[in-house]
Amino acid sequence: MELYPVFMWLHDLLESTGIGEPWSTIISYGFLAVTVFGTLSILALFLVWWERKIAGHIQQRFGPMRTGWHGWYQTIMDAVKLLQKEDIRIATRDKAVFFWAPVVCFVAAYLAYVVIPFGENLIVADLNVGILYIIAVTTFTVISLLMAGWGSNNKYALLGGMRSAAQVVSYEVPMAVSILTVIVFAGSLSMVDIANAQQGNIIFNWFIFKPPFGIIAFLTYITAATAEANRTPFDIPEAEQELVAGYNVEYSGMKFAMFFLAEFVNLFTVSAIAVTLFFGGWHGPLLPSWIWFLLKTFAVILLLMLFRWTFPRLRVDQLMEFAWKFLVPLTFANLILAGWFKYAGWHW
Amino acid sequence: MSALRTEEFTVNMGPHHPSTHGVCRLILTMDGEKVVKVEPVIGYLHRALEKICENRTYVQCIPILDRFEYVTAMSCNYVFALAVEKLAEIEVPERAEYIRVIMLELNRIASHLLFYGVTAMDIGALTPFLYGLRERELIIDLFEMTCGQRLTYNYIRIGGVARDLPPEFVPKCREAVKIITDKLVDYEGLLNENPIWKVRNQGIGYLSPEDAIAYGVSGPVLRASGVEYDIRKNDPYSIYDRFDFNIPTHQNGDCYDRYLQRLAEIKESLKIITQALDGLPEGEIQPKKKINAITYKPPAGEVYARVENSRGELGVYLISDGSTKPVRVKTRGGSYNQLQALPIMVNDCLIADLVAIFASLDVIMPEVDR
Amino acid sequence: MTHDELRAYVADKFGDKLTLLDTGRAEPMYEVKLSDLHDVAESLRKDETLQFDYLCNLGGTDTGERLEVHYQLASIYKNNRIDFKVMLTDDKPSVPTVQDIWPAANWYEREMWELYGINVEGHNNLTRFLLPDDWDQGHPMRKDWDAPDFIRLPEFKG
Repeated sequence: MELYPVFMWLHDLLESTGIGEPWSTIISYGFLAVTVFGTLSILALFLVWWERKIAGHIQQRFGPMRTGWHGWYQTIMDAVKLLQKEDIRIATRDKAVFFWAPVVCFVAAYLAYVVIPFGENLIVADLNVGILYIIAVTTFTVISLLMAGWGSNNKYALLGGMRSAAQVVSYEVPMAVSILTVIVFAGSLSMVDIANAQQGNIIFNWFIFKPPFGIIAFLTYITAATAEANRTPFDIPEAEQELVAGYNVEYSGMKFAMFFLAEFVNLFTVSAIAVTLFFGGWHGPLLPSWIWFLLKTFAVILLLMLFRWTFPRLRVDQLMEFAWKFLVPLTFANLILAGWFKYAGWHW
Repeated sequence: MSALRTEEFTVNMGPHHPSTHGVCRLILTMDGEKVVKVEPVIGYLHRALEKICENRTYVQCIPILDRFEYVTAMSCNYVFALAVEKLAEIEVPERAEYIRVIMLELNRIASHLLFYGVTAMDIGALTPFLYGLRERELIIDLFEMTCGQRLTYNYIRIGGVARDLPPEFVPKCREAVKIITDKLVDYEGLLNENPIWKVRNQGIGYLSPEDAIAYGVSGPVLRASGVEYDIRKNDPYSIYDRFDFNIPTHQNGDCYDRYLQRLAEIKESLKIITQALDGLPEGEIQPKKKINAITYKPPAGEVYARVENSRGELGVYLISDGSTKPVRVKTRGGSYNQLQALPIMVNDCLIADLVAIFASLDVIMPEVDR
Repeated sequence: MTHDELRAYVADKFGDKLTLLDTGRAEPMYEVKLSDLHDVAESLRKDETLQFDYLCNLGGTDTGERLEVHYQLASIYKNNRIDFKVMLTDDKPSVPTVQDIWPAANWYEREMWELYGINVEGHNNLTRFLLPDDWDQGHPMRKDWDAPDFIRLPEFKG
């Protein structure tokens, strides 16, 4: 289950068959990419099912029940259905932009997984600027949503696209600053180093237990992350009661499925980052490291799902006010104080 | 740098839009996210109920009027029956009056519970919808037990009710009252003090009492603007003067107060139902002189009957020429005036506020279009 | 104010402008001459004792012989109810608008204009309302209007 040995083994195997560089490296990385892609797609399908079950049980109903045990393959059937559906392309669309928007969204959602450690050594590439890379690539999503909004040539979609641009750009700031607080603790931008810095001492080395900065950073991060993942109470870009479906109102079939899956991949991404930054990453006793990682990630996802099915939605101006007048000053103050404590060498 | 050129654009909200509750179409003139002007366009559900009623006998009109305001079909049945009873001076048996009050109040609660769920959903909270419908189901089950229908009842007839209550109705009804009383605590806990709910609703869609009266707004929306006017107290019909209940009012006239107003009215209705169940007498449920469904002829004359239903004043203006068919049945529903007053509540609000305002008016389109 | 007091007050105040009709019920119903309609409506609204500030209902009627327009008023603070109606005998029926007195009348008058073909003088927006935008088949609520598939119910003998 460790990616490096697998990668090296595959690389050596390809070398021995006489395929020289750079092809052996490209093929081995391609294999890795397909593995991560496949795993994540399955995880996203699982998350869709899980969310429906949780929503159902919160709302005093069962959720999917007909397909298999508790409807376990409901989302697979949904995916198959969506793939078979007619791809409706309205005549007045902006052809290129309309076509590429879901692709960009889909790819941007998966790019972050290059540096997310699923377990010990279970990482595609341990970049030394890992977290910076994540912040950079996840912002691509907003471009795709703007593209979708513009390319659809629909007023609701355009409003949704503009809303999502405003929202994601605003919440990027508190999110990045709260991540910076963790970087101050860890002294590294590498995801592996950050996770390793929280090892030992049962759970009390986790950065969330560095009061008060860790908990504040976590709370601001999870708030901003909810907004980044476009989920209630910050789901204004697709607010169906106002904008019907927002940016993806004109999309159907496969293209809609790409937006939909990307949304759940993003949900997994923000939770995985939260786990790595605040909950000690894959570290844990007895069980294999990747199981620990998944368990912790699902716990964070559960939290986000509970948010979604409990809260009403904020209004677009209230959302912006909350980001700029509350979250940004709070995260900056938190960062400066944490840096000062670190500089002064005080332990806490 | 020269100023950016901006222009207003028109958005067609509806007739198929998730938050216009049916087939209302709102033509919005928007400046970015801001709604500058709103113009309701109605008529997509016009079924010519009034014209159909002119070609039916009096008893046949009642199931037609079920479709007039199907969320509280009991009060539609009742208001027509009341008009004919006023016209023909029919004496309604005591038991039938009590049954009617129980049914009307149960239906009011069912309608307000639906409002609770739908409004929460329009603000973006999906869970309360299912909670509201869960308790509504108890009431709908009671109706089904009594008259076999779940939405369009055709139960309250001229001079009485269609059939007697089944024996298990009273204990089941008491149980439902108890459950709803308990669950109301949950509802209030879920939304009343929720900070997001409050910022989304407080101060939004202000309607002054003067405007409310001038635009003929009635029911909970009028009372949420601070006007204490309820037809059950001010122009009593049936046996409402025998029960002890209050008319709650709220002063701010915004979406939040309209929401609180409806929750408060549920409590008053529960009080009325408990008293009516306690006082329910034995006896006949139909008048001594039976009403023949085909040949019934009320005396010539005209009458305007009005009742308070969950959306305000529900009225029927009835003209009879002494034949088996009414000359004119003019209906009046609360939603019609509420929707008419929508443009004055929308002053430079955002599109999200418009949805909140529309939801808080609790407009249902069949009542507007008829 | 009881119905009798209201009757007495109206008779005293308006004299022959409001003619009491015999409808065989307690609530008073008056007839107003078309020429007096707007003045009477305005006085009913402005009168300190009556204060009919709330328009319950407004609509047209086709009795088969003539067109009528009925107005149902209520007073929120004084808690009164009054009905009055105006008979239209003209070939081109027309009433003045009461929108300036009760803004609520706007939609009611528009509906009446569309379904009965009663013109409303001074109305700001007489456009298609309940019927389709391309409707050209007359005024469907009139008694002489028949759709091709509209079958009249016969009068049953008891």
